[in-house]
Amino acid sequence: MEIFKKTPQIKFLKYKFIALIVTAVIILAGALNIFIGKGLKMGVDFGEGTLIRVVFKNAIAIGDVRQKLTDIGLGGSSIQKINNSEREYQIRAVEVRNIKDQAKDSLESHAELSNRIIAALKSDEGKTETAQGLADLNTIDQKSLAALLETAFPEKGATLAEQVLTARKNETNKGAFADFSNLSRDGVQADAANFLKGKTFLGKLNVLSIESVGPQVGADLRNKAVLATVWSLIGMLIYIAVRFKLANGVAAIFTLTQDVLITLSIFSFSGREFSLQIVAVLLTIVGYSINDTIVIFDRIRENQKTLRKMPLEDIMNLSLNQMLGRTFITSGTVFLTVMALFLFGGPVINDFAFCMIIGTIEGIYSTIYLACPVVLFWQKWFPGKRGRR
Amino acid sequence: MKKGLRWKIILTLAILGLCLYLAIPLKEKIKLGLDLKGGIHLSLKVKTDDSINGETDQEIMRFTELFKKNSITFAAAAKDEKPGKFTFTGMDADQQAKAKDLIDQYTADWDISYMADRVTFTLKPAVETVLRDQAVAQTVETIRNRIDQYGVSEPLIQRQGTDQIVVELPGVDDPERVKELIKVAAVLQWKLVKGGPAQDQATLLQPFGGAVPADMEVVNGDPKRGHPGLYLVEKVAAITGSDLRTVRRGTDEWNNPAVAFTLSPDGARRFEQVTGANVGKPLAIILDNRLQSAPNINTRISDSGIIQGQFSNEEVNDLILVLKSGALPAGISTGEQRVIGPALGSDSIRQGMMAGLVAVLLVMSFMLIYYRLAGVNAVIAMIFNVVILFGVLAYFKANLTLPGIAGLILAIGMSVDANVLIFERIKEERALGKNVTGAIGLGFDRAFSAIFDSNLTTIISAVFLFQFGTGPIKGYAVTLIISLLANMFTAVFVSRLMFDVTIPKTATKLSI
Repeated sequence: MEIFKKTPQIKFLKYKFIALIVTAVIILAGALNIFIGKGLKMGVDFGEGTLIRVVFKNAIAIGDVRQKLTDIGLGGSSIQKINNSEREYQIRAVEVRNIKDQAKDSLESHAELSNRIIAALKSDEGKTETAQGLADLNTIDQKSLAALLETAFPEKGATLAEQVLTARKNETNKGAFADFSNLSRDGVQADAANFLKGKTFLGKLNVLSIESVGPQVGADLRNKAVLATVWSLIGMLIYIAVRFKLANGVAAIFTLTQDVLITLSIFSFSGREFSLQIVAVLLTIVGYSINDTIVIFDRIRENQKTLRKMPLEDIMNLSLNQMLGRTFITSGTVFLTVMALFLFGGPVINDFAFCMIIGTIEGIYSTIYLACPVVLFWQKWFPGKRGRR
Repeated sequence: MKKGLRWKIILTLAILGLCLYLAIPLKEKIKLGLDLKGGIHLSLKVKTDDSINGETDQEIMRFTELFKKNSITFAAAAKDEKPGKFTFTGMDADQQAKAKDLIDQYTADWDISYMADRVTFTLKPAVETVLRDQAVAQTVETIRNRIDQYGVSEPLIQRQGTDQIVVELPGVDDPERVKELIKVAAVLQWKLVKGGPAQDQATLLQPFGGAVPADMEVVNGDPKRGHPGLYLVEKVAAITGSDLRTVRRGTDEWNNPAVAFTLSPDGARRFEQVTGANVGKPLAIILDNRLQSAPNINTRISDSGIIQGQFSNEEVNDLILVLKSGALPAGISTGEQRVIGPALGSDSIRQGMMAGLVAVLLVMSFMLIYYRLAGVNAVIAMIFNVVILFGVLAYFKANLTLPGIAGLILAIGMSVDANVLIFERIKEERALGKNVTGAIGLGFDRAFSAIFDSNLTTIISAVFLFQFGTGPIKGYAVTLIISLLANMFTAVFVSRLMFDVTIPKTATKLSI
């Protein structure tokens, strides 16, 4: 099977100026959006704040969740439904800017904040049960649960606790039992389930994760992220310059910088949060997007040996056309896998997949329209001792 | 069959077998990262200034005593705002001359400057660096002790940079308790009570003319222990936590949980002195500057006693644990805290597996449809790649994280790239009229440089990512690096071998 039955004859380099303008426009729009517009939304990794994921035992409307947060003065927090269910929510608490007290451990204030949020979401539910000395089966930790079960089932507490907690985190319960009948349905021994029904109650929610990052660590990570990106770009420049020529190295770094910038620009419009994962994507794009470029450079080098008379621009056009099928297929297979991640990988990895999709598509464009023109310009401006090759 | 070919097959099968052996059963052999297993990640900063301040206090006390003993007079000793600097003021030239001999004799760690009426001590930078370094190293040790005693399997407690400590506790689902356990300074002191309890400072200090006497200080009672008021206690501790020899569970006279302790011989001697001279008076037990209880001294006590304070069973256990592991040399602040519950991890694994399965099926179908029989070759190479990845992960006990799963899935898409380049090249050579085996040989040879370069560039950036990243992201970088390295073997060597074995030399048709 072939994508192109015959090698296509597209004069890609005719459009080099248009391509440069398109690139510039996208980057400029992104820059405007980031620096003047609403800015790049910093995730909890890089900004301060607290990210809480909770699962409710029963569905609850997003409006209700917001109302509960508004009641404690945190209505401005971002609230997201997860997995399209009304049970799981992700809450990014707004920063506690009013606590300017530097002496106070600022992360402690975030921790307090998350405690307040969780208390508000629970509201008064479970208070009477707790007062009666019942434990919340939806939040209890393994050790305590084992100890509780041990009182009725000597020697078997640990095994039973394991059973219960395995059931609690399965696909239907997702961290919180809606009803005691779920216990025996999901493989908990009947007498243990009965015992727990008497000794515990099912709290309204369970906390899936809490992530808090203080201002210092956030700033530190930001610096490190920028450094890692810059160093890997320099690494590419050196590697390509050694394996090919300086012109190719410069073109590679130029292409990759624009890969990163365009991905960032488009990402900034998506309203998603910039996190450590996104840095990972950017670096992956830096490392991967160069692959197609290398394949093209490799072919140009080969064609230059056989077609000595042909001007460089024509050789480039020829090489691009010869490699076009390859460019589409290689990026295509990665695109397939990234789509699978995007559609099925779940909420935690969704931003990663989204950003990778942009990067993969954008990588094709930059390989074709950017890498070669830059080499061309460079050779024109710095024609070396042996002249243009 | 050619001899070379036979060895290649044996080598390939041996690697495959080894990786399968290392990785199976997956559930036991592959370690899951915090984000999949659940647990706590803390990034702590040691307030090393504390240890410098402590050193400064000690030095001030030492020289104050030395000067008094040798009747050298001065107005006051004052600590500078900057840690590691203090000044004796009101010392004239005569006194300074006398002091100089003593100072030269007793300390080498401080730079001393003599001015008109004062002597300033500045901690030498080299000494300061050592002290700060020790404080961090000691904190790491203390935290490790506490975690070990609490019982967490495979904890990671690692120093990072000059004053950071990263703590990762997989499987822990009781974050508040563990955090408390790590962060509590556990500075335990016994001090004689001179006044209180009182509601506010004014009432407390009334008998003393409204000011805190020089040899006393005010401490807060701990409301959790039923002592909400303020107390006035002696500044100098009778004994401290470092005088303890053993601690264990005990009970107080009402059978409430308490901590029983015995003292070192030196501590016992001092405790005997203090308790003997103060029978009938209250002695405060102060933990981290909060008064836990202030029982009356009924009789002279020498080498053993109890710490009471309306503790719960758990609190007694934790207190014993931190007392055993010793006090922290400096305060700790948390820079980053991530608590992942087990339910989130299970969900992530399920979804990651689903995405992986879909990705494999998509890529497989594409390769089989597009390259037909040669596609089978690529698919086998791809599966081989995944097996090697798991084998290496298991061998190095590297953690599989959620981004790591994403990296694995991505690697599935990237690993066939090399085969795509090779196959396209083979097609090209065939179109130029080369025979089947010739085209295959040329395809592999000529595509190799591009494959090598492109895999290596991705590895380079992944290495930088590894340097930069924290836990989950490191896991991503690791899977990416391993699978790209494996890719050079599977897509080039193994895939070539499969052609060599399946395509006869005389073949005239190639399904590609």
